[in-house]
Amino acid sequence: MQHGVISGDGSLRMRDRGFAPSRALIYLVVTLFAAAYLAPLVVVVLNSLRTDEEIAQSSMIGWPQHLAWGNYALAWSGFCVAETCAGIRPYMLNSALITIPATIFSTLLGAVAGYAVSLWRFRGDVWVYGIVTLGLFLPQQMRLLPWTIVLRDIGLINTLTGLVLIHTIQGLSFTVLFCRNYYIAIPHELIRAARVDGAGFFRIFWRIILPLSSPILIVTVIWQFTHIWNEFLYGVTFTTGQQQPVTAALIALSAAVADIPHHGVQSAAVIIAALPTLLIYLFGGRYFVRGLTAGAVK
Amino acid sequence: MPITTTRRRLLAGSAAALALPAFARAQGAVKPRLTVISQWSAGSDGAAITALGKKFEEKGGVWQHSPVPGFTTEMMNKLRAQIIAGDPPACSQLKGPEIAAWSKIAPTVDLDAAVAAAGYEKVVAPDLAKLHKPAGKWIALPLQIYSTNMLFLSKRAMDKAKADKPPVTWADFNALAEKMKSAGMTYPLANGGTRPDDGQKFEASFAGISPTAYRAAIMNLDKKALEGPEIKAAFAQTRKIADWCDPNVGAQPYATNLKRFVDGDMGMLIMGGWAQGVLKNAGFKFDDYVIVPGPSDNGKPVFLLNADAFIFWQRKEADLQAGQMLMAQLVMDPTIQTMYSQITGSIPVRTDVDLSGEGWSDGQRTTAAALKNAVGNNQAVLSLAHNMAQENGLTAAMIDVITEYVKNKSIKPEQAVSRLADAVEGAR
Amino acid sequence: MTDVVSTATRPGQSATSEMLRRLPEFLMIWVPLLLSAAHLVTFSIWTIWISFTPSTLVPVTGWVGLRNYTAVLASRNWQIAFDNLLLFGTAFVLFSLVTGLLLAILLDQRIRGENVLRTIFLYPLAVSFVVTGTVWSWLLNPGIGIEKLVHDLGWITFKFDWLVDRDMAIWTIVIAAIWQSSGFAMALFLAGLRSVDADIIKAAQIDGAGPVRTYWRVVLPTLWPITITVVVVQLQFAISAFDLVRALTNGGPGIATQLPALVVYDLMFQRSQLGRGAAAAVLMLLILLAVLLPYAAWRYLRRRQSAHA
Repeated sequence: MQHGVISGDGSLRMRDRGFAPSRALIYLVVTLFAAAYLAPLVVVVLNSLRTDEEIAQSSMIGWPQHLAWGNYALAWSGFCVAETCAGIRPYMLNSALITIPATIFSTLLGAVAGYAVSLWRFRGDVWVYGIVTLGLFLPQQMRLLPWTIVLRDIGLINTLTGLVLIHTIQGLSFTVLFCRNYYIAIPHELIRAARVDGAGFFRIFWRIILPLSSPILIVTVIWQFTHIWNEFLYGVTFTTGQQQPVTAALIALSAAVADIPHHGVQSAAVIIAALPTLLIYLFGGRYFVRGLTAGAVK
Repeated sequence: MPITTTRRRLLAGSAAALALPAFARAQGAVKPRLTVISQWSAGSDGAAITALGKKFEEKGGVWQHSPVPGFTTEMMNKLRAQIIAGDPPACSQLKGPEIAAWSKIAPTVDLDAAVAAAGYEKVVAPDLAKLHKPAGKWIALPLQIYSTNMLFLSKRAMDKAKADKPPVTWADFNALAEKMKSAGMTYPLANGGTRPDDGQKFEASFAGISPTAYRAAIMNLDKKALEGPEIKAAFAQTRKIADWCDPNVGAQPYATNLKRFVDGDMGMLIMGGWAQGVLKNAGFKFDDYVIVPGPSDNGKPVFLLNADAFIFWQRKEADLQAGQMLMAQLVMDPTIQTMYSQITGSIPVRTDVDLSGEGWSDGQRTTAAALKNAVGNNQAVLSLAHNMAQENGLTAAMIDVITEYVKNKSIKPEQAVSRLADAVEGAR
Repeated sequence: MTDVVSTATRPGQSATSEMLRRLPEFLMIWVPLLLSAAHLVTFSIWTIWISFTPSTLVPVTGWVGLRNYTAVLASRNWQIAFDNLLLFGTAFVLFSLVTGLLLAILLDQRIRGENVLRTIFLYPLAVSFVVTGTVWSWLLNPGIGIEKLVHDLGWITFKFDWLVDRDMAIWTIVIAAIWQSSGFAMALFLAGLRSVDADIIKAAQIDGAGPVRTYWRVVLPTLWPITITVVVVQLQFAISAFDLVRALTNGGPGIATQLPALVVYDLMFQRSQLGRGAAAAVLMLLILLAVLLPYAAWRYLRRRQSAHA
């Protein structure tokens, strides 16, 4: 009979002594999974350090014979997209200019809206909330042409501002959902007491809600940043030339039918482009889970 | 009453007055500027359009090229978005029947004057010219011609198979493939698995078997030809070709097989002349391979035409209009066409360019001779796989059938024939 | 449901000044929400309208009744896409659920290196769909990927050519999709596991249940609501998966891995058949609704239940 031990936080744990086989099994399974999950990253990193010829000669999976750091230099500032040979660097900047504002706006507005919907009820809020969250399911192809028409009518086509607008409004679907589910758990007495003391909507938000929000805000920021940074369809359609986000540059590097594949440089470019989001999950992963734990799931 | 001198002078004077604005424009009173959208961001295509841009700037213009990453769909997406936004580029890539289709949704520039001034129409193949003047007026200019059914033969592979004659008919081709197989090449054909590639396998077979039936069935959508014996034979030949390709290629383009091709592990490649540009860009030499026209059962070369073109959208700005005129002149210029084709491996649209000089490969000379020959014998047809024969919607529906047939060995030629006929009906 | 906070005017203030005072909050609440709701509603209506027009290259007015719908439903592309969606959707949701839950349980065991492991399972979320599709298309390609590697290592009869096999190619999409998104399922499940009431577990222990039984009988049932959430999120991902499939198989080999999202994009933008593309998009929406409506109804009933309880 196996005995489990309750640890302080209520999770189950197998006792270490005497039941090594089960423990070992756990470690084995976890390691296998970890290897499978890491494999693609490892392959890309290794490929980024191999020359294109080397990759063409053998398979996509292999150990570098010499360390081709040149791939990174080329990817960062060397490779050419038609006339411009500036590598991926300008596109990274564009992506940042689109992603950071859109993330901030959609998070802030979503928090306020989520707070309003959950703690300050008003007429029609259920309907509006329902429609907004339904937006999570509207496919992106259905929105491409309508957005073209909208951007044309407000004169923002081919501007980074236009893209920020699109991503902010579309991001609201997600941010409102998550924030509202989080704020629902806040005791109403807190708000009532503050109101009695004379505080209004924004004061309560600033003084009470916001300080409590860091778990969910982290979740929202991470999620939004990742999605907007990695987005391709709108990025390509609503920008031109040098304004395009980094996803467009990656496609330019790989969609070359009229070209021998440059897998080495391509892999280096992929790693560089994915660094921001990878780092976010590296350092923020714990807070991400914590934020989800703190009641985002309803 | 004869025109008196005074009247003549008056006429001459007013004519000069009318010509003055045009003259002033031509003198560069406004600095020509051009906004261009294309999909050509990399490889030899990217290099060619970049070179064209430099020439534009040498002539004093401002070149604003926006390559759209991805394939033609992304480019068309961007073009469509710009048109809907009321801000079309001054010039964009577009080709084939799409030129006629797109010209209905936005106003284009009437190029008749420029074409007449350059005497361009005389030196363009008539079938091709028709595509670029859908309503009778020139609105687009073709820039380079490819044949999609050239046959590339690897020198090393030919030596291995101890073959010395390039195949002329499909029977020759099949025999050569078998020979290569018995010489140790498991997969003699280096073609890839993309949709256009599968389309090329089919159209090369069909046009090679009977260019007349191809024209009737694929270009004119004649019902009888779509159900005739030639098209069935074409599917049967396509099956043979598919069996000689490496099944592992999946949906990868042929470019992944080029090394094996040059090394002699694969012997043949049915591809358009652009492969020459790709091979050159990848560092391979012209000596490594031979280019001959694709197999044709009646012995005379069949030319499956694929031509890129630029279409000019109406703009009110004077500098863009000047840029458009400058671009039109450049595109029709034989030296520019020479430069462009030498980079990409195509042949110039102008039939009066002499290819015997430096910088042209034997393959290009062969292609140009094949074109001349084919036009003379009425065996120059429009490529289906590269969206020259039909509009995109119908083409895609037909390629659906063809690519499924190529990838699914259990589909019989008869089934493919009826499916293709259904697809044509359904997409009409 | 009662108002949480009364929004009545405070005594001693006139109505207009009250409204002015509350204007900023109206703006900050209503403007974004209305914009969001408005854009969703109008875009959907616009698409539905287009699906009844003969639009090809650009939207035009006109009425063609159900012709676009019948054309789409009759096409092989759509039929294959629909079948694939059922297969892919079910397999993907099921396996990513199981994988996420398994990983969460494993991570919940207080093993060493939990932080590192959690990052390893989460990082695929950081990668864009296009990159995922591209990288997996390299790995799963028999000529250049895993199969070739194993061959080079000596085991020459090893076969792993699902990517180019018409019948198995859809499973490659399942693999890549699970790699990409099971981390999210894991995070949600982990959150759920960590918030299970310790007393319930203690009670089960006192009753003599071992860890496995405790999990099975006590812990997992409390994860039911989270499971539903995960299912819905993953279903949404499955139905709209586009970039990933395009980069991995592009609907191939042939048209064997077509999916509705691809068909919509293809019709709308590649084939310049906007009307048909819109019809396909509306069909896609209907499929989504077929999943969402039962879910919404279930949530509503649950709420009614807990209100009456």
